[in-house]
Amino acid sequence: MINIPKKPPPSYLVTIGIPFAMLFTVFSFQRVGFNLQDFRENLANRAIVTDPLFNPKWSWAWENTADAMVETVQIAILASIVGCALALPLSFYASRATNLNKYSYFLYKSFLNLVRTIPDLFWAMLFTVAVGIGPFAGVLALIMFSLAIMGKLLSETIDSIDPGPMEAAKATGSTHNQTVFTSALPQVLPNFTAYFLYIFELCIRASVILGLVGAGGVGRIIETQRIFLRFDRISPIIVIILVVVILIEQFSVWIRRRIL
Amino acid sequence: MNIPKQPISQRILKYTLTTAIVFASLWSAAGLEITIERILDAPRQIGILVGAMFPLDTSQEAIDRIIPKVFESLFIAWAGTVIGAIISFPVSFLAAQNVAVGAVSRITKQILNAIRAFPELILAFVFLPITGLGAFTGTLALGIHSIGTLGKLSSEVIEGIDEGPLEAIKSSGGSKINELIFGVIPQVMPTITSYWLYRFEINLRASAVLGVIGAGGVGQELINQLRFRDFPRAGTVLICTIALVLIADAISASIRNRIIQGKVVKS
Repeated sequence: MINIPKKPPPSYLVTIGIPFAMLFTVFSFQRVGFNLQDFRENLANRAIVTDPLFNPKWSWAWENTADAMVETVQIAILASIVGCALALPLSFYASRATNLNKYSYFLYKSFLNLVRTIPDLFWAMLFTVAVGIGPFAGVLALIMFSLAIMGKLLSETIDSIDPGPMEAAKATGSTHNQTVFTSALPQVLPNFTAYFLYIFELCIRASVILGLVGAGGVGRIIETQRIFLRFDRISPIIVIILVVVILIEQFSVWIRRRIL
Repeated sequence: MNIPKQPISQRILKYTLTTAIVFASLWSAAGLEITIERILDAPRQIGILVGAMFPLDTSQEAIDRIIPKVFESLFIAWAGTVIGAIISFPVSFLAAQNVAVGAVSRITKQILNAIRAFPELILAFVFLPITGLGAFTGTLALGIHSIGTLGKLSSEVIEGIDEGPLEAIKSSGGSKINELIFGVIPQVMPTITSYWLYRFEINLRASAVLGVIGAGGVGQELINQLRFRDFPRAGTVLICTIALVLIADAISASIRNRIIQGKVVKS
């Protein structure tokens, strides 16, 4: 008989966590009204949606979506550029490596976390109330959205930069700002570019749905047709959106390969 | 001092990119009719809205309405994540190149890509007429979208495993099933579990939004209060949502850290 060492006892995470997670799962399914029986019965009525969905009215979509689609792309471009530009200085303040003041580091970090907790469509709703219905509200909402993501990604990248160049700059007698500019910033610029392209893709996807709350873009057209259950008009719009999103993603992948 | 100049090709690239970015922003701003006055006026308008929210509406009636809705979002996110996790787990093995046959893996991957392409909200409003207004529709939409994203991530984890243990099992006479159970699953489980939790964090934000189109959760409450211009109550909804997301994020992140980094041994 071989002598196998005894298995260590499972941690509390497993002995308490797993039963708790299971209980919580059962409770959640109950509370959301999960019922396969009803679902099967409801599925019998799927024709109201699927019939028009698979009979797209292409001519209608071509005539009515072009302008809104351009608007969607414009919202994403402007918001991702402005959002990432604002996030660049903020991330340096929200990183331990470049912000020596413990309190202001904590403030900037908390600010970025707070912006990140509010979902994109909530921002859109708030801005439509504040500055009026239209694409400007959508741009502001996506600026907050890209600011939050870039702030998190970039500040964490700055946390993990190589301290060597910063020490070298400090040893030559440069001030803190000079050190950050000459030895921290160049280290993270390639990451910044990569994140920017990634955020631009996210913004394109997010800007499609902004119109549901009146913040401009192609979602506005989807919303009006959705209320009247015109799925024959929605399905070609969805296809057009998918094609545009995929094309833009390919373009962004191409740029990334060229410059990184 | 003699500092070497940047190579000319890089400088050209730099100037082209800068011009492209400036041009793209100007074109977009012009197309969206965003003027300097509107930008300068925006902070004041936002200030008015924020000012209108305080003091928050903390009346018993408001709390009784809002808290259940906030928790409904939590349940939708959790149930949606569980659906996504349970279904995506076996599917991800079919999608992994090193486990499944080439053709099966390619087809499964394409299906996952197709699912992932539809945002949750679009799935939700397609289901809405079938399954009706309410939390169930939101759960379904989140669950299906999560199958796509979790399936892709998990299959990539499976593709990145160390082949050594599999060979060891094979050489000691283990079957293909033995290889999966004793070779693959123990290697991928920690990462995949942490992806499930990560997806839960994302789904929580998504489920908060779903209410906007009536698919359950706190979004419905926010859009209603904003429509009726009841700003103090809208502020309460917002604060409650932020609190829930912050707490859930913190718990989920600490469990993820524990799973990935293991127990911290104090020396």
